[in-house]
Amino acid sequence: MLLLIVLFAFATSPMGLLARREPRVLAGWGLAILPLIIFAALCAQIPVITDGGSIVEAIPWVPAMGLELRFSLDGLSLLFALIISGIGTLIVGYAGAYMEKDVGLGRFLVYMLLFMGAMLGLVLAGNVLTMFVFWELTSVTSYLLIGYKHDYPDARRGAQQSLLVTGFGGLALLVGLLLLGAAAQQVGVPVNQAYNLDAMLAAGDQIKQTALYGPALWLIFLGAFTKSAQFPFHFWLPGAMQAPTPASAFLHSATMVKAGVYLLARLAPGLGETPLWNYTLISVGGFTFVFGAIVAFRQNDIKALLAYTTLSQLGGLVLMIGLGGKYGSEALVTLILAHALYKSALFMTAGIIDHETGTRDLNRLGGLRHTMPVTMAIVTVALLSQMGIPILLGFVAKEWALKAALESTLPAPWPTLGLMAVLLAALGYIVAAWRLFKQSFLGAPTPELLTRHVHDPKPAMLLSPAIPALLSLLLPLGLLPAVSSLLSPAAAAVYGERFSFELYLYKEVNLALLLSLGAIALGTLLATQEQRLAAHRVIATVSGAELFDHFIDRMLALATWMTRTLQSGRMRTYILYSLLSFLLFVGLPFLAYGLDEMRIPYDAELQFHEIVVVSLIPVGIIATIMARSRLGAIIAVSSVGAMVSLLFVLFSAADLALTQLLIEVLSTVFLLFLFSVLPARFRSFSPAWVRWRDAGIAILFGMLMTGLVLATAPSTMFPPLAPYFLENSLAGGKGANVVNVILVDFRGLDTMGEITVLFIALLSIYGLLRFRTQRNALPLSGNEQQRPLPGATSNGSHAAPVPTAGSSREEA
Amino acid sequence: MILLLAIAIGTLFAGAVYLMLRRSVVKLILGLVLLSHGVNLLIFTMGDGVRRAGLPIVDSSTGIAEPGTTDPLVQALILTAIVISFGLTAFIMALAYRATQAVQSDDLDDMAHTDRL
Repeated sequence: MLLLIVLFAFATSPMGLLARREPRVLAGWGLAILPLIIFAALCAQIPVITDGGSIVEAIPWVPAMGLELRFSLDGLSLLFALIISGIGTLIVGYAGAYMEKDVGLGRFLVYMLLFMGAMLGLVLAGNVLTMFVFWELTSVTSYLLIGYKHDYPDARRGAQQSLLVTGFGGLALLVGLLLLGAAAQQVGVPVNQAYNLDAMLAAGDQIKQTALYGPALWLIFLGAFTKSAQFPFHFWLPGAMQAPTPASAFLHSATMVKAGVYLLARLAPGLGETPLWNYTLISVGGFTFVFGAIVAFRQNDIKALLAYTTLSQLGGLVLMIGLGGKYGSEALVTLILAHALYKSALFMTAGIIDHETGTRDLNRLGGLRHTMPVTMAIVTVALLSQMGIPILLGFVAKEWALKAALESTLPAPWPTLGLMAVLLAALGYIVAAWRLFKQSFLGAPTPELLTRHVHDPKPAMLLSPAIPALLSLLLPLGLLPAVSSLLSPAAAAVYGERFSFELYLYKEVNLALLLSLGAIALGTLLATQEQRLAAHRVIATVSGAELFDHFIDRMLALATWMTRTLQSGRMRTYILYSLLSFLLFVGLPFLAYGLDEMRIPYDAELQFHEIVVVSLIPVGIIATIMARSRLGAIIAVSSVGAMVSLLFVLFSAADLALTQLLIEVLSTVFLLFLFSVLPARFRSFSPAWVRWRDAGIAILFGMLMTGLVLATAPSTMFPPLAPYFLENSLAGGKGANVVNVILVDFRGLDTMGEITVLFIALLSIYGLLRFRTQRNALPLSGNEQQRPLPGATSNGSHAAPVPTAGSSREEA
Repeated sequence: MILLLAIAIGTLFAGAVYLMLRRSVVKLILGLVLLSHGVNLLIFTMGDGVRRAGLPIVDSSTGIAEPGTTDPLVQALILTAIVISFGLTAFIMALAYRATQAVQSDDLDDMAHTDRL
């Protein structure tokens, strides 16, 4: 079932290409059926989950490494999956209308559907490694979506930023998860269960005691904070607004950015409730909560404004996880639902305004209340929910957030800090919402807008934002029991124990309600002063993006410098680097471990002529190095080859000696041929100190090789293969010369490869030597066409195909 | 016996490395020739012990090897290696021949800039 859902999402994604052609509006809504099917399939599971059950499906993948394809559905993943597929349905339909004139819509929808599959896989995963795979897939698809308009530099920059930031976080997350798995194994979880989420969380209390818990948690925080755009990794989210609006509405408000929150919520019951966990999340989440809300209302771009409120809201979610407890988890899931509804509606209406007026700049909009009344109604409802005005879902969620802070059992300053953050952010939201509303709908339309025929879009486009906006309004009015029963298992999954709770609009006058209403009053007051606030430049404008760009520039400069230094274009420098690395990484370990392994066996049969042969090798080498004339060098190097052949004779390798001698003769002939075109004497290129340095490196290298041979030669690691070949040579290969039998029979494929290598070398040499004559004789014209025809006199430079045909016909 | 081989291998590698670090294209080739000798001998040490006597030839009627016969497998491998390194050397010689003609110099540093041609 779950696996099927994920597979279905991926398998049907190519169908997005259907939207390449007109009518795209129809194609969009037609394709919206795909997420709708998933949504319906998930809805069918609601009763199972609300009854306290869960669904688990597992396919072993690499059990020895704890890798399995495991999917599980509980309250939390159901809530996320419903949001993903539900909003996905609306977005796909909306995209068809929004990008009606865009020929790339097909490609765009493929990316969107792929992303949806990845996101569903992420929230349904029951194994952290499975989850990680989908986590990375969401980063990749998000990159494709942000960079959709790849001919705009800003889009490319935004896409690159988000990929680098979330990719970096993903790597940190992977290491964190592996550490966590290692910790789980330390406390006795079997390997094949170590990455299973349930097993991991069940062993959570012991894992917290291990030394790995701290580092693992920090790395996981890095992953979650980058993905969910927490300060100081927040800057990529506003940059990601370069994506087409449907993608922004889907990925960067409702779903993907909540992946980090999801991960934290998932791990909370097992790994939470430690000082490190609570205080880090409260500080980071609380700060992002306030920071985003304050920066938001200074924005002029509608999408940027929404992006900052989104990252603020993500901070709020992280804060709720940090506060923990029953109220914390209740507030978390309520906020997730409320935010997904109103923020997707706001993004889609922002897209509509952009689509109809041609701008998203708040300073160039105005007076849309006359021309776009339906849009205004949707925006109003969504904004009211964001502000947390009574009877909307946002109000309920905010009250629960306040309660989470008030009822928190954490030590002194933390609950108060959380409360302050919730209240400050609420104020910021009201100001930001008011500014958005006032600038776009009130006042007089700018002259630019008057020249355009601005109007409400067609219903195909309005439907999508209308539904979530309407839900924000209708859910609190009568459907709260149903919502509560859906959210209860989700909150229970975050809390770690089964419990249920009831959302309500109004129960009694208490501190949370008073604070909430007070914040609204104060926020309204501030909103009237919005112009002055915006002009007040106390609020820092450092968005972090410049810092990031600077960092990337420095990285590129470093890379350029390294390339210039290392890639000198000189062969010998490269060889030198290789040699030095070898000396470092093989030489040092050899000094540490290999010296004891070296043994020099006593050889009673040592003969004088053997010593002569071996000592002639260095003599030949030194002669080669010292030779001033090329002929001398050839003679010297040939003498070394001859000594090697003699060594083979001494060691009963008759075939080798023969071959070596033959090759030596051939090589000498070739060398003589080569040297015939070169000046007869060597020039001295390098200064003396370079030669001495190289000599030092060479001697060190030679000594290391000698040492390695002495340390490894009496190898007993594996049983020798020789007896097999000796026994089977005659029986299996019908030959008494075992070396020959091995070459042509046992390892015949090796010989085949050898022949291929020789043949390719031959072809290359032929090509190299022929190249000159071609270039000299026929500089530019195509040589292939100039083959002389049989019987034809080669008179013209262009033997055209026509005479060929003619002559062959005559012959026929 | 293994000591003799080890010294031979060490000197061959040292000489090869020194020659390969030179700027002359000819010395690079000579270095490669020495390097292949060194590698071949290195393979030789990897067999079932290094012995003086015992050609790897079995009795042609019974198919039984005398005890103490040398390892035939490393010999087969070296045979392949010798031929392949010869092919490689021949190719590099042709390459050097062409490059020297094109650049009118046997200095490897001059050849580093042929991309600009």
